[in-house]
Amino acid sequence: MHAKNIALLVMMTSLCVGIQLTPRPPNIEFTSLICFLTGFLFGSFFGVSVGALTMLLNGFLSPWGFGATNIPFQILGMALIGFVGGVYRKSCTRTANPSVRWFSLEVSLLAAFLTLFYDLITTISYVMLFNVNIIMALISGAWFTIVHVVSNTVLFGTALIVLVRISGNVLGERTWSYQKEVS
Amino acid sequence: MELPKRSLIILGLGWLVSLALVSFVAGYYYMEFRNLNELLEQYENVTMEVNICIEYKELNGTVLWYNNTIIPLGCNLLQATKTVALVNSTYSPAQQASFVDAINGVWNHGAIFWMWQHWDDTQEKWEYGNVGADIYKLTKNETVRWRYEIPSYT
Repeated sequence: MHAKNIALLVMMTSLCVGIQLTPRPPNIEFTSLICFLTGFLFGSFFGVSVGALTMLLNGFLSPWGFGATNIPFQILGMALIGFVGGVYRKSCTRTANPSVRWFSLEVSLLAAFLTLFYDLITTISYVMLFNVNIIMALISGAWFTIVHVVSNTVLFGTALIVLVRISGNVLGERTWSYQKEVS
Repeated sequence: MELPKRSLIILGLGWLVSLALVSFVAGYYYMEFRNLNELLEQYENVTMEVNICIEYKELNGTVLWYNNTIIPLGCNLLQATKTVALVNSTYSPAQQASFVDAINGVWNHGAIFWMWQHWDDTQEKWEYGNVGADIYKLTKNETVRWRYEIPSYT
């Protein structure tokens, strides 16, 4: 791997881990957003790598305790978010880029789905560990899931386009172009 | 406007997510309902149901009913009322009973007081209580009423 790529990977992962370890309300996180953004800007491989590495480190360093059997599932969930970021970018370039409004709507709905998927698979690990009924486990954590899904939906819908524009300016390349809104 | 396949798939996923979340919330409240029902069954032998009415006759005429209020067996009227309303009371050592000063922020004023009555099943009429609310022990399925009024027996 090129040194520049390794530096990029390390930087994005450090950013994610740093934010993960910062005190915050339960189930409100920015890691998904950064992983998706990384995948979107630099491709699925980077998205997957940042997601997987972040959750691996988080499993050992998290203030909530050692992740244990949850770690592989967290890695899988976050890697998928990074992967989808890259796939989404590719699908946008294949067709006409969506307008800002459509982009925000699409990424927020994608975030909702990916967050729900993440919560589902991490619940599976809990079910395996404590041998409880999966439906009961999902239902008892319903409000935590809702907080996670809603916060990510709002975050992706509002912040991603801004971050994409800023990254484009910082990187000095036109990373994203969008259709002008019809006035 | 023709939507690309990608947008349609994403909209579909969003729809699925909303369905899943609604199901989770419905399931959560159903589970809570079942748990509370089980708890009620468990405490059936040590609880009873009473009907409590609060009538703001001299204020605005509002009548509020708290039917099937669940209280512990042997609970007195004052304790029962406190489960459905904010009650201010003063204990009188001379009377060895409590005097209700206000219910839900409506205070006794001039000749208007909070009086309590219980429904007499045999005579089918309201009877004024003759003891303090904290002395009167409620019985199963009893109906009581608090009325903000100028006492009619005066």
